[in-house]
Amino acid sequence: MWDTYVIIPMTNVLLWIYDIIGHNFGVAIILFTILIRALTWPLTAQQLKGTQGMQELQKDKEWLDIQKKYKNDKEKLAQEQMRIYKERGINPFGSCLPTLIQFPIIIGLYQSIIRALAATPLSLLNLSRSLYPFLDVTKIIPLNSHFLWMDLGRPESINIFGFAVPSLAILVVITSYIQSRLMTPPSNPGDQSGAMGNMMSVYMPLFMGYIAMIYASGLSLYFITSNLLGITQYALMGRANWSNLIPGRKE
Amino acid sequence: MKLKKIFILGAVVLLSTLLSGCSASAMRSNSWAGLSADTENAFLANGSFVYAINLNNGNVTWQYPAEKADSKESYFADPVLSDDGQVIVASLGTNHSLASLNIKNGYQNWTFSDAEGAWIASPLIVDETIYAPNTDGKLYALDLAGSFLWAKHIGGALWGQPVSDGDFLYLTSLDHHLYAFDLDKKEVTWQVELSGAIPGAAALGEDGKLYLGSFGSAMVAVDPQTQDIAWETPTKGWLWDPPALDDGTLYVGDLEGFFHALNMEDGSPLWDAFQPDGPIIGTPLVTDDFVVIGTESGIAYAMDKEGKTLWQQNIGGRLYTNPVQGGDLILFAPMENDSILVALDSDGRQVWQFTPEK
Repeated sequence: MWDTYVIIPMTNVLLWIYDIIGHNFGVAIILFTILIRALTWPLTAQQLKGTQGMQELQKDKEWLDIQKKYKNDKEKLAQEQMRIYKERGINPFGSCLPTLIQFPIIIGLYQSIIRALAATPLSLLNLSRSLYPFLDVTKIIPLNSHFLWMDLGRPESINIFGFAVPSLAILVVITSYIQSRLMTPPSNPGDQSGAMGNMMSVYMPLFMGYIAMIYASGLSLYFITSNLLGITQYALMGRANWSNLIPGRKE
Repeated sequence: MKLKKIFILGAVVLLSTLLSGCSASAMRSNSWAGLSADTENAFLANGSFVYAINLNNGNVTWQYPAEKADSKESYFADPVLSDDGQVIVASLGTNHSLASLNIKNGYQNWTFSDAEGAWIASPLIVDETIYAPNTDGKLYALDLAGSFLWAKHIGGALWGQPVSDGDFLYLTSLDHHLYAFDLDKKEVTWQVELSGAIPGAAALGEDGKLYLGSFGSAMVAVDPQTQDIAWETPTKGWLWDPPALDDGTLYVGDLEGFFHALNMEDGSPLWDAFQPDGPIIGTPLVTDDFVVIGTESGIAYAMDKEGKTLWQQNIGGRLYTNPVQGGDLILFAPMENDSILVALDSDGRQVWQFTPEK
């Protein structure tokens, strides 16, 4: 099921893009990421709506009142918050959904990259079974896995003064951090959701960086492209919260 | 908020578990087993272990490593036996070592770990030199003591064991080329481009010609005298391992599940392609009396040299590894099967099977 509906279509789309753009797998991953971003646009819009709703709530009188009134009764505070979410039509999970929808895409893309690059006999055999009839891949197999200084089928690092520096993983951490900070609404002191958001905006980029460091660099290319597209989207829509990038500074 | 926290943390844990699961399963089974045999033992390279299995009873003579497996090594290339009592094994794992083992007890003589890429091809020993093609596109030369002699860039990823006529090594590459490497000059002197990637080796005929298939779905004969293609015969599917050559006839199976017998002179079919029940990857085994193949669906077939089926035996698993003759036995190394080595007699009856301890 996973193979038929996720990995095989992704692999074929990647190979099709690779074929039409002149056999550059790095560019194929970048274009594939743009395609995924376009397809998940409605979810991103929902995320932005949710984030904006949360931002407006921070200044809402009723919201501020219940924070004070129930500051010593967390259970009641949570109930009241849920009531307000319901009344205002805000989905508190709406801002998580685009992040979560990325997870199957990340797993599927990782498996598709490994399958398309076919670095082992079994993956080459699996690739031969995964091809749609419209693709004539005889000429393009094996794929050129090199892009700039990277081998997209392997973890990446640059040798600097004898040390292997995982430059892509560092870029993944930086771009993930910038994106998550730009999307994090400003929070009031003592606000539990704000503290949670701040925590996630630190730990999530580190986690993504760790994934980028140990897995194929093609996946890192996807992370970086996706993050840069996200940042550009928010900036162009005028919703990027740039003040959040500077620690300690609030809008 | 607690629910949200659990939701996000759960997703993070799920992602890391799934991704590590992907790579772990890839490590466990990134190829099918490699198999060779002498008159006493079968030598099976299967993942983290290499086994010597006694042909008389299917018991383990030795295994390497003797106890704990190194998770960074994955042995899949057919083990190569040297005249001086070494078993050379090659790893596709992250450490990708080339190792020499003592044929009597499996003790490690030496290892070579300086190649940039992994080893999928078996090495070839010519005149006390080990020639080992690597997925990094280089051909590595070592002496029999494991000392590095030189490395030369050939091109593409080299997955097939070289063949040699004593003057040249003939190397196949995934970059669609057959390369002729002059052993004196230590350089590629000519090459021929095929219509697809070449994952398997070439077969060198007694007539001096090279016979090889590719993902271009064609069997090709290359004449080193003219350095060009002598004939080309289309097949129904992609071709993986090299053909078996016997008395002017070439036998090969394809990934669409057809088994072909061609005239080595001109590539003309000798009989209509036989279609068993699954794709054929391994090189057929030719004995004095019959030809044996294994299919992906786990069934072994024996045919006479006119193409008539003599017997078939359900081995189980997937038969990708070349069947090998060990003494009077026919050996199969099924993948995805509890028994990783099965011995048949010449009538197709199972003599013994080897199941490793878990």
